[in-house]
Amino acid sequence: MSFETTLRLMEILLGLAIAQQSLEHVKPGQLAGNHRVLFALRLALALSMVVGYSAPYGLYGLWVVALWMLHRFQGPYNGGSDKMTLLILTCLCLVELAPDRYWQEMALSYLAVQLVLSYFVSGWVKVMNPIWRNGSALRDVFRYSAYPVSESFRQWADSPRVLWIMGWGVMLLELAFPLALLNPAALKLALVCTAGFHFANACFFGLNRFFWIWLCAYPALIWFQDRIF
Amino acid sequence: MLTSLLRVISLLLPALIPSWRFFKTVAPSPRVEYRVIAGPGALDWCEDRPRPQDISVPTILWRMLWNPDWNEQLFLVSCAERMIEEPSQHSLDEILTRVARLLPVGEGLLQIRLVFISRDGEALVKSVEYESEPVPLSRIKGRAA
Repeated sequence: MSFETTLRLMEILLGLAIAQQSLEHVKPGQLAGNHRVLFALRLALALSMVVGYSAPYGLYGLWVVALWMLHRFQGPYNGGSDKMTLLILTCLCLVELAPDRYWQEMALSYLAVQLVLSYFVSGWVKVMNPIWRNGSALRDVFRYSAYPVSESFRQWADSPRVLWIMGWGVMLLELAFPLALLNPAALKLALVCTAGFHFANACFFGLNRFFWIWLCAYPALIWFQDRIF
Repeated sequence: MLTSLLRVISLLLPALIPSWRFFKTVAPSPRVEYRVIAGPGALDWCEDRPRPQDISVPTILWRMLWNPDWNEQLFLVSCAERMIEEPSQHSLDEILTRVARLLPVGEGLLQIRLVFISRDGEALVKSVEYESEPVPLSRIKGRAA
C-alpha cells in the first residue's frame, strides 16, 4: 500500500470513528448545550475529513478539539480509546507538518510501532501476572468488574476452564503479534484476529469505541510492514 | 491559565507515550450508589444505572454504532476511581450531575457513595470508600441546565 493511499484510508476510517464518538456526545441531556455545539463541530470536521474536503485543517481542528476534551473531562472520557484517537490524530498532524518524506514516514512509523506495543506490552504485563496465568483474572473481570454489559454475562465466571483458555488465547495473540510483521499474510491474519478480539470486547464489555479506533491504525501497520520488511 | 495549560499537557503526554498496560491487575471495582433524603421522592441507597439481566444480540450489535449511555456509565466508573486516587470537585460534580439527571424528582437532597467490590478468597467484599455531603437536587439540576 502506498504512503498516500495509507494516509487517505486512515483519514476516512478516523473520520468515521470520530463521527461515531461525536454523535454519542451530541445526544441531548448528557452535556451542556455549548459543549454539545463543540461536539457538533467535531462531527462536522470528521465528516469533512471523510469526504476529503478539509485536510489538513480538519485534522488540526480535530486535534485542538481533542485537547479541549482532555480539559473538559479532566482526562480521557473513554480511557484507552480516547488516547488512541489522540495518538492517531497527532501522528497524522505530524505527517502534514513534516518538512520532507523522511519525517512524514517517521511519524507514521511511530504510530505503527505504538500499535504493535499496544498488543505486546498488554500481553507482557498479563503473562507476568500469576492471576492471569491461572485464569482467575479473567474470572474476576466477569464476576465483579464494572465491564460486563449484562448480569447474564457474569455467568461466564462459572466456566473457569473456558476463561483460562480464552485468557491464554488473548495473551498468546498479544505476545506473538510482533512476529506477524515478518510476513504480510501473517500480519493480515493477525489483524483479523485482533479485530475479532476488539469485537468480542465490544460485545461483552461495551467497548465499541475501542473496536473502531484500533481499526483506524491498522493501515499504518500494513504500510510499515511493507516499507520495512 | 498556565495551570490549566500544564494540566492539559500532563493529560496529553500519556496519550502520546502510552503505557498500554490494559488490565494489568483486576482492581476493586466501583459502583455509584445514591439516595434522596427528604422531599416527596425520598429514596434509600440504590445503585445508579444497574445493568440489565440480559441484552439481545441485535441490541449488542446496534451498540457497536450507538452506545452513549454505556459509555457515560464507563466515564462514571473513571470518575469514581479518580475520586479515590486523586479526589477533585470536577469528578464529584460529574457524578452528581449525571446521577441527578436520571432522577424524576427535583426536590430533596442527593447524596452519593462509592462502593468498591473486590474478591477476598472466593467471597466478594463490598466497602464504601467515599460518601458525599447531601446536596440540594434543585441546585444540581439548575447547574446542569
